[in-house]
Amino acid sequence: MTQKYRAASQDDLIWHALDSMTLLFHRPSGITHMLAEPAPDLLQVMGDAPLAASEIASRLSALFDIETEGDAEDIVLARLEELSLLGLVSKVSG
Amino acid sequence: MGQMHQISLNIGPAAFRIASTWRQPLDRLTNLYQDYPEPVDQHVDFTVRLEPEKPWRRFVRPSVHIGGDFWLPDAAPLPLAQGLLAAEMGMNLQMALGWRRHLLLHASSVEKDGKALIMTGLSGSGKSTLSAMLAERGWRFMGDEFALLNLDSGEMHPFPRLISLKNEAIAAMQQTVPESRFGPEMKATPKGDIRHLVPPKEAVVRMHEPAKPGLLLFPRFGYEPELRDMGKSEIFVRLTQASTNYVALGEVGFQSLTRFVDAVPTQAMDYQSLEQAEELIESLWSQLA
Repeated sequence: MTQKYRAASQDDLIWHALDSMTLLFHRPSGITHMLAEPAPDLLQVMGDAPLAASEIASRLSALFDIETEGDAEDIVLARLEELSLLGLVSKVSG
Repeated sequence: MGQMHQISLNIGPAAFRIASTWRQPLDRLTNLYQDYPEPVDQHVDFTVRLEPEKPWRRFVRPSVHIGGDFWLPDAAPLPLAQGLLAAEMGMNLQMALGWRRHLLLHASSVEKDGKALIMTGLSGSGKSTLSAMLAERGWRFMGDEFALLNLDSGEMHPFPRLISLKNEAIAAMQQTVPESRFGPEMKATPKGDIRHLVPPKEAVVRMHEPAKPGLLLFPRFGYEPELRDMGKSEIFVRLTQASTNYVALGEVGFQSLTRFVDAVPTQAMDYQSLEQAEELIESLWSQLA
């Protein structure tokens, strides 16, 4: 079964762009996160749907220049693991 | 425990009651804070208690334990001769841990032309001395310890308590300020040699008058004079570190701080003397719109 991921609800998040980073205030935890690329774009393309890493990678590739499909999925997977530890992404059983 | 001596006073928007087993620290406080108003109806936000560490130590080599509504377990007792410092530390502690009406920045601030200059940095950056010096040279003193950011208006509110001068700053300020405005010198405290300075009268008279933030500086003493731009991300992180209640304020703190970082021009400033710092500050100030 493919692991799927769901981003925190947009209603729970306040975004604020600074120069090189993006601030993300997570209302339920009261924690301010400081995100570097590609984490903010990754969360944005996820929308509300539960998605597999491969689906997220192809959504990102459609919007941005990403070198190769295979690498992109590994990178997305690594970022998803980090974001789920922060409580910004949850794992959904497929 | 018997009857405690006590006084109440207003500093900016906060009202304190300081209760003490001993008269001496309160007599000194009353003298230094003589121009400050008493709270209306004796309503206070915080109570600071100066008590013997152990009951019997009231008389035998008395040692002051700082207590209050909020406290830290590692706040070490101080000798009675440093009771004034204990009271000041106690008031700071109550603000740092308990204040929720503003975003609290560990920073000094002064005002000119209706705009506030805010200076923040690590201990030893010289922010307190710089505010004391500027207050004698045409700026209104707003505070040397905490700058209070209004959560709705984005204005800075004064918190002009006694200026806490440390080590070399004591002699530097004695050159320009009359002896009558100084408290007793306290040698070899946990924070070094300390002498409190009463702010200029104008600071107390206008202590309810806020100012729009005009310039944020990160001073650093002991380096070749230089001004540097800083990235917004770095500024934001350093201000969250400089704030004692950012986390406690939650969403409203986030909104206030991001607005502040977006709006307020900011520079890092290195300097080796007060004269250099004043020159750099005045040149920056004259360039502000």
